[in-house]
Amino acid sequence: MQKLKTDKDNKQERMNFVEYWADFVKNNPDKIWSKQQKILIDSQIENARNFKISRKDYLEIKKK
Amino acid sequence: MKFLNKNTIKIDKELNELDKFVLDFIKILKKHTNYVIISGYVSLLFGRARGTEDIDIFIEEITKESFIKLYQDIERKYWCLNSDDVNEIYSYLKDGLPIRVAIKDQTIPNFKIKLAKNLLDKEAFKDSIIVKTTLGELKISSLERQIAFKKYYLKSDKDLEDSKHIETLFKKNINYNKVEEYKRLIENAKTKNR
Repeated sequence: MQKLKTDKDNKQERMNFVEYWADFVKNNPDKIWSKQQKILIDSQIENARNFKISRKDYLEIKKK
Repeated sequence: MKFLNKNTIKIDKELNELDKFVLDFIKILKKHTNYVIISGYVSLLFGRARGTEDIDIFIEEITKESFIKLYQDIERKYWCLNSDDVNEIYSYLKDGLPIRVAIKDQTIPNFKIKLAKNLLDKEAFKDSIIVKTTLGELKISSLERQIAFKKYYLKSDKDLEDSKHIETLFKKNINYNKVEEYKRLIENAKTKNR
């Protein structure tokens, strides 16, 4: 597994992490990386479902 | 995950709530029309570590009668955020506007659905890929299309990161001549729209 490269530039540092994570996904069985992804995505979905916003307000936000 | 052939990928991931949400909806959609999933969700399906509030889908041209049947099936569980009137919803699609569909009484996550109207949209169907999951299949646009759109059209930090994820993951399977072809199509389309 490659080491995560750091950087002073925020954009580049983020990109380094994307590459690091993609490398992890590539070199590990689907069941391993997907467990970690599931924790992140399931918590976001739960938050989103608890976030009550009307159709009208949501579409207004999307227009901006 | 692995390519079973050049148009089929098998993925053995533990499906998350977003994956299940997409698979559930696609089961209904595919009974009525041809579809292809594009953009951000594709990189999430392949493991990208981020969330999303919407899943972009193209559907092929559909008659009003067929759309009404599709919508009757959809509205058992979902609602359209733009309108409750099926005629109005269909007219939005015909005018080239996207509609958003979510589980009833919810707004996020949602499906952003558009009719594939121009040549570039329609190309997404031609070289689509079937992704086989443990709970069913999904049809996504090609990896080359994903990369070209994210790198040369959308270009936000998030899109460039999505593209990087796909490129790192599928390095050996990406046909960069095809990416260039898509890049040219995108540039031509942009010139026409000016």
